[in-house]
Amino acid sequence: MIYAILSVKKNPGKLDPLLAGIKGISGAGLYAVLVDKVAVAVCDINKVDLVADKSGAIEYASVIETLAQQYTLLPVRYGSVMESAGTIKKLLKRNYVEIQQNLKKVENKFEFGLKVFCDSEKLIAELKAESKETNEVEQKSGSEIQNSVFREYINKKLKEHRREEMMLSYVDSVIAELTEFLTHLNTVNKIKKMASPKNIIDAVFLLKKDKIEEMVQAIKDFQSKYPELNFILTGPWPPYNFVEFTIK
Amino acid sequence: MYDNVIDKSKDITILELLDRVLTKGVILSGDIVISVADIDLVYLGVKLMLCSVETMEQLKMGNPVPKR
Repeated sequence: MIYAILSVKKNPGKLDPLLAGIKGISGAGLYAVLVDKVAVAVCDINKVDLVADKSGAIEYASVIETLAQQYTLLPVRYGSVMESAGTIKKLLKRNYVEIQQNLKKVENKFEFGLKVFCDSEKLIAELKAESKETNEVEQKSGSEIQNSVFREYINKKLKEHRREEMMLSYVDSVIAELTEFLTHLNTVNKIKKMASPKNIIDAVFLLKKDKIEEMVQAIKDFQSKYPELNFILTGPWPPYNFVEFTIK
Repeated sequence: MYDNVIDKSKDITILELLDRVLTKGVILSGDIVISVADIDLVYLGVKLMLCSVETMEQLKMGNPVPKR
């Protein structure tokens, strides 16, 4: 079973002792398959033991996390198994350039996740109160709906559309301010807006390991500017969200 | 008093971890790969979590955290 692809250009001699001290899934011993300056952390596993269960997932994630404390690595998706060390070496050689490029991209970096939640109904009400113009338009629309079911339907859709627009505009402004706020940390950002009506921002950030404390403080400070929102920051994680390639 | 913090932290960590381990990371393709399907997992680790100031203040005062 394959856990992660590691850069061993620094401290290559420390990898074997480190792996020897970690137990993999089902207590299996870990070892490295090495090609030049890249190593793959693996453990042997019998096909009959290939059961995805809770303890397996805990052990798998723990191994990657332990290794990420010491080495720059690319986490491999859970459940990836190859037939032999020879096959792994072949794939490493074939994908060596791309692996090196990805390792460079995440070198000495960790990932943070940020989810921003809100009470969307309350927030919309507050935004509406701030927008007198919108209120007037809606009141006008409200006086026109009584004539038919069709008009009522159109008016309902219009209102929904305006709510969405208002919310999106608000979220865009928060995202713009947030990215501006984090500029000094030189983060790589991936931001998704309106993941759900309550989860208005779902973001991941890649940043240097020595900036972790600053990141936490920055989000705390930013939260205080937006008391109507709930910020949940998790991490530091290995760079799961910043590894985007398939080994073929 | 801090049970809510720990419980919520665990729940969020589980979701965050599952999202990463199961759907992110390097993908190995080809018929030599055996993927494990039908996964039902729970992760018990507790990572750093930053709650909102409002939530933390409520917890400090001993009030329950409102459900989202």
